Amino acid sequence: MQEAKLDFLKELANIGTGHATTALSQMLSGKLFQLVVPEARLLHFEEAARFVESLEQVVVGIFIVVSGDVKGHMAFLLPVDSAMVLVRLLTGDDSGEVNDMALSALQEIGNIMITSYLNALSKMTDLLMAPSVPGVAVDMAGAIWQSVLAGAQVINEVTLIRTEFYADGESIEGNIIFLPDEDDFKKIAVLLGLGEG
Amino acid sequence: MSKTVLITDDTAFMRMTLRNVIEKNGYSVVGEAGDGEEAVALYKELQPDLVTMDITMPKMDGITAIKEIMKIDSDAKIIVCSAMGQKPMVIEALSAGAKDFLVKPFDAERVVESLRKFGS
Amino acid sequence: MEELFVNMGQINSLKVGGILTTVGLGSCIGITLYDNSVKVGVMGHIFLPKSRASDKNALPGKYADTGIIAMIKEAENLGALKSRLEAKLAGGANLFSNLSLNGTSIGEQNAHAVIAELEHFGIPIIGKDVGGSYGRKMRFYIESGIVAVTAVGKEAIEI
Repeated sequence: MQEAKLDFLKELANIGTGHATTALSQMLSGKLFQLVVPEARLLHFEEAARFVESLEQVVVGIFIVVSGDVKGHMAFLLPVDSAMVLVRLLTGDDSGEVNDMALSALQEIGNIMITSYLNALSKMTDLLMAPSVPGVAVDMAGAIWQSVLAGAQVINEVTLIRTEFYADGESIEGNIIFLPDEDDFKKIAVLLGLGEG
Repeated sequence: MSKTVLITDDTAFMRMTLRNVIEKNGYSVVGEAGDGEEAVALYKELQPDLVTMDITMPKMDGITAIKEIMKIDSDAKIIVCSAMGQKPMVIEALSAGAKDFLVKPFDAERVVESLRKFGS
Repeated sequence: MEELFVNMGQINSLKVGGILTTVGLGSCIGITLYDNSVKVGVMGHIFLPKSRASDKNALPGKYADTGIIAMIKEAENLGALKSRLEAKLAGGANLFSNLSLNGTSIGEQNAHAVIAELEHFGIPIIGKDVGGSYGRKMRFYIESGIVAVTAVGKEAIEI
């Protein structure tokens, strides 16, 4: 049963991230993006804690609380170099400086991508999944990931769905991570005919 | 005299992007609001011809702001520009009095089309 | 020189020499306990303030209320005396500080909980770098008792 649940989550991630990267692509006037096939895993706390490998790499983290019929949390993580490429493509600013406008652009990118992801899932399930105003931080990956786990109140087990993406011709990589609340995940499963989850 | 627009969005980047599109197409941006509360206050003060409104914002969200502005002026022309495009949200915004709902990311043409349609 | 890492919820200890390191202190609190006379050092990485029934099999170091007592026991097992222990703290930040909160942030709650526990056990806090909106790394040098805290874009400090 766990297998079926994870396959289902992978499918959700596929759909969600497809829309998210289409949205990003539109913002960047159609530059092609490629996805690495999403993965869905059920992790225990210690495994979740180790999920981020290079703890000291500086990354941009965008954190959103999801409310409505489905509750949970989402995070969008990208290395700061990739983030600054996106900033350059969007704003024309090639200084590489993480200034207020750069952070604002990144917050908006994260907002649009994550919301597009949720919009796609909502359309499929007819369930409301409303995003909060995004939180933004630029810091060591370990500290950001830890703050995401604490913010998402991940205590023992967590269902983690992630999709890596990268841009054709530009070195942009990122991770979109969805952490649905366990009970609400069951709602989606039932609605899409996967029984009790 | 060109039509006046009040832009509402919680990110400076989106306000800048919208301003560029709007001004390039012959409209005059008379104010920028970073949340719903500011939008309502600026509406009272500036009485713009048109308003663009985000939904997910701190302090006061877009739906509440739409309702408040409609109370002040039942003829207000509010165009929603939001990433949140789920059906219940669109229905709520339009029922509250918004004239149009543009889902981000949107083309510049789409924004202008909406401004032209409701700005007359 | 032996360097041991302390991950979220873990507790590690060394005697006489070596380094204890923890990275990824966002809202978490890194704590060091040191008995200078016998050079026993223990480091913990606290995730949340209070343990709960739904997480019975948790590592004791995950929560402030179970972690500090576990750290003291580990120090005593290596020959430290509780009365000689001194503590240093780092972390308890609120990284997504642009999000408005209802009440205190998790980082602040962790800091309060840890400080209260240490007070309860009569362990003085002789160094501290908590709060703010940035992540920290903490390195604890057992031979000297020195604790260095680093953060992105900031000068390293000793607490």
